[in-house]
Amino acid sequence: MIHGLFQLLLFQAAGELVSRFLVPFIPGPVIGLVLLLAFLLARGAVPRNIDAVGSGILQHLGLLFVPASVGVLMFWPLLRANAGAVIAALVVSVVATIAVTALTLRLLARDNPEDERAP
Amino acid sequence: MRPDLPAIHEIWVYLAASPLLALTVTLGAYALGTSVYERTNRHPLANPVLIAVSVVSLVLIAIDMPYDTYIDGAQFVHFLLGTATVSLAIPIYKGWASLKGRVGVLLLALLAGGATSIVTAVGVLQLAGADEALALGMVAKSVTAPIAMGVAEQIQASPTLTAVFAVSTGILGAVLGRFILNGARVKPWWQRGFALGVASHGIGTSRAFSIHPQAGAYASLGMGLHGVLGAVLIPMLMAWV
Repeated sequence: MIHGLFQLLLFQAAGELVSRFLVPFIPGPVIGLVLLLAFLLARGAVPRNIDAVGSGILQHLGLLFVPASVGVLMFWPLLRANAGAVIAALVVSVVATIAVTALTLRLLARDNPEDERAP
Repeated sequence: MRPDLPAIHEIWVYLAASPLLALTVTLGAYALGTSVYERTNRHPLANPVLIAVSVVSLVLIAIDMPYDTYIDGAQFVHFLLGTATVSLAIPIYKGWASLKGRVGVLLLALLAGGATSIVTAVGVLQLAGADEALALGMVAKSVTAPIAMGVAEQIQASPTLTAVFAVSTGILGAVLGRFILNGARVKPWWQRGFALGVASHGIGTSRAFSIHPQAGAYASLGMGLHGVLGAVLIPMLMAWV
C-alpha cells in the first residue's frame, strides 16, 4: 500500500513541477494524471500496488469533496441573497448538460445491439 | 473536581485547535452519510456527500467554529483530491481498449456537454441579474472539484465558491441523472455513464459505479477527459471572451 501511495505521490509531484515551470495554466494534478496514463500505456498494465491505492481513493472520492464544500458556510449570505437564481442555474445546467451529452452520443454513435442497456 | 485535572473547557480548546476534531467530524459525517445511503438502498436523494456536508456545517455552527479553523484540520482530507485526480488515470487506462472507434463521438459529446454546462449556468444567472462573482464561480463547476478549483484560480473566480457549485452540481446530477436519461431515452450504460461523468464528475461517477460497472467506467472516463480538456480550454475561452 505504501509503495502504491508513494508512486502516486511521485506522479503528483512530477505533475506539480511540470505545471510550475513549464505549463502554469494546467493544474499540477492534471499533468500528473496525463503522466501516469502515459506510464500505464507504455507499461501495458496497471501495477497492482498503484491499482490498490488509486482505486481505493477513487471509491471514496465523495469524502474528499466534503472539506471544500463546507465552504458553503462562508458564502451563505451571498448565496441566500441569490438563492433562486443559483438553484435555477444549477438545475437547468445539470439537466441540459446530461441531456445534451447523452443525446449527442445516442445520435452519433452507431447502434450496437451488444451494448448492455438499462431496463 | 480535583484541582490537578484540566477543566473541561481546556480540553475543548485543545481539541478544537488540533486537526483531530475537524478530521473526526468529517470522517464521522461521511460514514453516517454512506450508511444512510446503504440503508435506503442507495436512494439518489440520500447522497452521502450531501448528508456529510450538511452534518459538518451544522456541527460547525453549533460549536461556533470558523471555517478557517475547520479547514486547517480537514486539509489533510482535502489534500488527497490531488492524488485522486492523478489516480483517474487508472479508470481511463482500463477503459482505453473499449474506446477504439468511440473516441470521436465521445469527444464531440464532451465538447457539446461542457459548452452547454457553462452557457446555461452563466446564462441563467445573467438573466436573473445575479452577482457577477456567482457567474464566474459557475464556469468550471462541471469539472471535477480539484481541477475546477485550479481552473477557478486561473480565471480569477473564487475556488471555494467553485467547489461549492461543483459539489452541488455533482449531487444534482447524481439525484436527477436517472430521470433525465430515461426522459431522453438513452439506454446503453456506456452512454448513460459518460453523460453522468461529464455533467457531474466525481459524485455522478460514484453514483454510476453503484448502479452498473460499465456506467462507472465511462463516467470516470467522462470526468477525467472533462477535467483534462476543461483545464486547458476553459482558461483559453475566458481569455478570449
